[in-house]
Amino acid sequence: MTVIAAYSIKGGVGKTSTAVNLAYLAANSGYKTLIWDLDPQGASTFYFRIKPKVKGGSKKLIAGERDLDGLIKGSDFANLDVLPADFSFRNLDLVLDSRKKPKQRLEKLLKPVDKEYDLIVLDCPPNISLLSEAVFAASDILLSPIIPTTLSLRTLEQLKKFIKDNKLEHLKLAPFFSMTDRRKKMHRDIMQSLFDEHPDLLQSAVPYASDIERMGLERMPLGGFINKSRSTDAYQALWRELQDLME
Amino acid sequence: MPDNHDIALNFQLPENLKVKKFLARLDEQVSIHISSEQYSLKNYYDSFDWRLYQAGYLCEFLQSKTTSKLILLDIETEKPLLSADLDKMPSLLDEFENPAIKRMLSPVLEMRALNCLTSLPFQSYQINVLNKDQKTTVRILLEDYEALPARATIQPIKGYDKSCIRISELLTDTLELKRVKKNILQAALKLQGRKPLDYSSKLKIQLDPSMRADIASKYIYSCLLQNIKVNEAGTIADTDSEFLHDFRVAVRRTRSGLSQLKEILPIDKTASFSEYFAWLGQITSLTRDLDVYLLDFPTFESTLPENMKQAITPLHNFLKVRQVKAQKELAGKLKSPEYVLRLQEWEEYLKEPAAKKPLEANALLTIKQVADKRIWKVYQRVLKDGNAIDNDSPAEALHDLRKTCKKLRYLMEFFQSMYDETTINHAIKSLKKFQDILGTFQDCEVQEHALIQFGEDMRNEKTPTETFLAMGILVQHLQQRQQLARLDFSGRFDMFQSTENQAEYKKLFSEKN
Ligand SMILES: Nc1ncnc2c1ncn2[C@@H]1O[C@H](COP(=O)(O)OP(=O)(O)OP(=O)(O)O)[C@@H](O)[C@H]1O
Ligand SMILES: [Mg+2]
Repeated sequence: MTVIAAYSIKGGVGKTSTAVNLAYLAANSGYKTLIWDLDPQGASTFYFRIKPKVKGGSKKLIAGERDLDGLIKGSDFANLDVLPADFSFRNLDLVLDSRKKPKQRLEKLLKPVDKEYDLIVLDCPPNISLLSEAVFAASDILLSPIIPTTLSLRTLEQLKKFIKDNKLEHLKLAPFFSMTDRRKKMHRDIMQSLFDEHPDLLQSAVPYASDIERMGLERMPLGGFINKSRSTDAYQALWRELQDLME
Repeated sequence: MPDNHDIALNFQLPENLKVKKFLARLDEQVSIHISSEQYSLKNYYDSFDWRLYQAGYLCEFLQSKTTSKLILLDIETEKPLLSADLDKMPSLLDEFENPAIKRMLSPVLEMRALNCLTSLPFQSYQINVLNKDQKTTVRILLEDYEALPARATIQPIKGYDKSCIRISELLTDTLELKRVKKNILQAALKLQGRKPLDYSSKLKIQLDPSMRADIASKYIYSCLLQNIKVNEAGTIADTDSEFLHDFRVAVRRTRSGLSQLKEILPIDKTASFSEYFAWLGQITSLTRDLDVYLLDFPTFESTLPENMKQAITPLHNFLKVRQVKAQKELAGKLKSPEYVLRLQEWEEYLKEPAAKKPLEANALLTIKQVADKRIWKVYQRVLKDGNAIDNDSPAEALHDLRKTCKKLRYLMEFFQSMYDETTINHAIKSLKKFQDILGTFQDCEVQEHALIQFGEDMRNEKTPTETFLAMGILVQHLQQRQQLARLDFSGRFDMFQSTENQAEYKKLFSEKN
């Protein structure tokens, strides 16, 4: 089993869109896949038309009192299950903090479903917190969307430093460009310079596209309502690169 | 997945409820979306002797415009054990490309061909039951068969147990569907007047112990004749090697019966039909021998060192060419009047009512009397001959003992139904174990000689030297195995004639009650 976290310190960069579409593509190519919505806003839960409700809330979930498998919902797509969000997730940090070894907590909770899934995708809320540290400990790959702006370079470097300072050697950082606009000269320039400075950046970039926005209306991953577009190609390419990283 | 033990998931539509009507009524109750509707064909496969069914598998090959796949289900739980895309259903295991299928089927199916038991055309509807967010909470697969009542199968979705229970109740109570076992194969076979496991290479002859010996023996021969006849087509077509095998076994059993059940049927009849069955044994033996070498080929290969495995490929080709030729000749003979007419005569003779006052001395004994006496006698002979064999006895002595054991085995199998089941099964098992060692001993010798003969024949075919070297290794290996079997003999025989076994035989066949 591989755990991929869609993570960024920043909000609104495309974490959820990426998590949802990758989970869909993975499931479609035969991976038994689980997407865990850790964000109290429940955006990915919403995309799958599932009620953002977890019996017992964050407390019982983190305490391990509820068996994780019993909280999982089947999506409308083959091989793809969802562990929904709950509004109580807004205090996940506090709940984690009240436990021993809070950073190891998520990893421990995932153990029982280890055999059932080939891939687990974590959709994370933004910022660095205790929850994100627990996410780092549980994940194999940290998939981080980057919008090509001047600030993004700083954000990426912050993240790298954090990983290095905390000696998270097991974690592969996989930054990639999100919401790119080739018509904007600034985007092109920033992408060029970042590719030069950070060769670990993934090659595939997800363009800014209206069909991705439409997912909110359709309440489905892209593949559920369009066959093929620039966006689906981009996610497909991203998924292929991730598969290479997983090996 | 939740435990769905007591929730009914599989249903049958009442005969008078058309699918369109059912869908309309369902739609009145819940929000549904038909995500696909297509013409499909469900084919069930098994070997002639039901190997998959016996192993608890149901093999479905499902075809539609969008799919073509093989699904292996567990008969009891109905859960799919394997599902794989497959364009065309092959016949023999070697023809499968998918390694997962091969892995699952090979220990069960071995050399047997898969044949299509039934093809069921149907219209399939994938129905999603939606909640108010238009999320699918449970699915219903509706299969509208052309020749059988339509079926509805609930497919639960993880985390939506309530919805599943609600739909199950709706189908049961409101829509009045009948709960069924999912497996539709039995219903389909019934249409053909068949049922699962209706052929087995094992003999299952039900005899009444008080039956007249002449009537009972005709009944036994009729069962054997049935086996000959059902294996004929597969033998002629060479569907797989086991048709001929079972054909030959039935022929051999018939011969053994004719020679052992003495003075029961008129001597002129038994003598002339014995000749016919001897001829049948003879014309089928070359093909069977070649089949056996080909079946054993992987074992041959495995005894060779890695760098020599390739070297015996010419032997395989040599055998294959000969097998094809022999099989063709055999098929021709099995279509000839010589074979067909005489078999008909045999069938008619078996159907003739028994003579009121038969002249044969044993005809009017009960079959149980004949069985006891005969089995006991042959058993005594096995013990006597076995005990006479020591380390210096010639191979011939073991071969003869093997033949006598075979006779004993056939008798016990003919008459099995008249004895206590557990005891006779145990006795047959211990005999079988002993026969194995005799079989190995003889087979090794026969194969040794055959390999040497093949070597002679292959000299004219520009065969590479390595091939002969490899064959030499095989011969040596067979000799070693034969020697080991020889060394094992006395131990195995002692096991067979253990006090307990002797007591068991005595209790079965010699104690008067
Ligand atoms: N490539 C894209 N092109 C156009 N719109 C996009 C793209 N990716 C995401 N969006 C839109 O941007 C918004 C934020 O995207 P998304 O929810 O995926 O980001 P996020 O990082 O998960 O946000 P948050 O931090 O709030 O969880 C959404 O409305 C989404 O539809
Ligand atoms: Mg998000």
